[in-house]
Amino acid sequence: MPICPVCEYRSTEWKEVAGHLYSLTRKSDATHVMWLNRNLTIKEVDVEKLSEMLEEFFSIRGELSSWIREKFIQKFYGENPHPFILAMQKPNRAVLLGYVIEHQHFLKNWVKVLSEIIFKTDEDDVVKYELDNINVEYFGYNGKPSHYELLLRMGESLGMPRKEILGYSPLPSTKTAINTWRRIAIERDWVETLAAMHSLELVADKTLRKYGAKMHYFNEAILTSNDYPQEVKDFLREGYEADQSHAGEALTLVDKYSKDEERVQVTVLRSFDAFAKYLTARLERAMEFDSKVILQ
Amino acid sequence: MKIQVNGSKAGDKESGCALCGATWGDYYEEIDGERLFFCCDVCATEFKNMLKEVKNRTGWKKIDEITINGNFYKGRTCIAKSGGNEFKFYVRFNDNAEVETFKVTD
Ligand SMILES: [Zn+2]
Ligand SMILES: [Zn+2]
Repeated sequence: MPICPVCEYRSTEWKEVAGHLYSLTRKSDATHVMWLNRNLTIKEVDVEKLSEMLEEFFSIRGELSSWIREKFIQKFYGENPHPFILAMQKPNRAVLLGYVIEHQHFLKNWVKVLSEIIFKTDEDDVVKYELDNINVEYFGYNGKPSHYELLLRMGESLGMPRKEILGYSPLPSTKTAINTWRRIAIERDWVETLAAMHSLELVADKTLRKYGAKMHYFNEAILTSNDYPQEVKDFLREGYEADQSHAGEALTLVDKYSKDEERVQVTVLRSFDAFAKYLTARLERAMEFDSKVILQ
Repeated sequence: MKIQVNGSKAGDKESGCALCGATWGDYYEEIDGERLFFCCDVCATEFKNMLKEVKNRTGWKKIDEITINGNFYKGRTCIAKSGGNEFKFYVRFNDNAEVETFKVTD
């Protein structure tokens, strides 16, 4: 059912939602204008055209998971890939340190939000999936260190003691992003939270290129290069060689359990918004170590 | 003030918002004696906060020209000009339209 992605006003037709959005843009309502600017187009169109564009944007061809994947690629790997992903094609010490320092906070929050999904759901396969994920992220499995531990080791290998890494507070953007995800976890259905969180794992999914992504999360040559410490390669390889269906598995659960697809779509877009901000925070942290890290 | 956003002229309804280049909305504000178009009040506030920061750091009274490249997520790399002088910087705003990050870039 057609939905306003900002205030969730609902109607039986897109034309009405378009009229609603359009009239609010005439009043320069910041949240509605911004949504259009960031998701649809910065050039004003009439109600008729806006209605078509909204319907096209939200229409699901196949499964909801395909829509999520498509939007993720458009936003982070499309014509203008996110600058952090560009920086990861040839990351220097500053970029990797920016990654380590901000990501520790992301990972801590990650498991907390996943716990909220477990708390809210009654589905066994979802509980199991989330517990497995928490294990991998936080405790490690089969005797292998956790992602969190691998991340800290990467930081240490770049010459920053663990104690110093752990001493950093998150940058304001990281904090804002984390708050967005916490709010989603508390206020929305568990299916929406599941979709909002695990669709972010698509960022390192190497199958993404099959769906049209122009590049991988990082330049794979790093994995065999002598220019990077082993710990950097270990951390990056972990994500790279993870089961290809890692994010895919969660998206299958989203397809299986979502009842209100539009609400899931709206929440996923909010999560993408927070994620883009958060990736920029990694680069801003990097600028503290190398002022030449370029953000564009 | 001559304004360029992502390669195009900006600052009126036809060309787009003085900060982001969008042509949605209908918001005007007088800045340095000029009536400028913005898509929303948030962009207007961001623009004003940005100019204030530039003036504070340079001591300029007036800005003749500003070139803005980027967007909300990535932040914006800019060149401000006044008289014969040039000032290059990177700026990013928080959700309250305040300057969150400001860095002088050579
Ligand atoms: Zn609305
Ligand atoms: Zn604007």
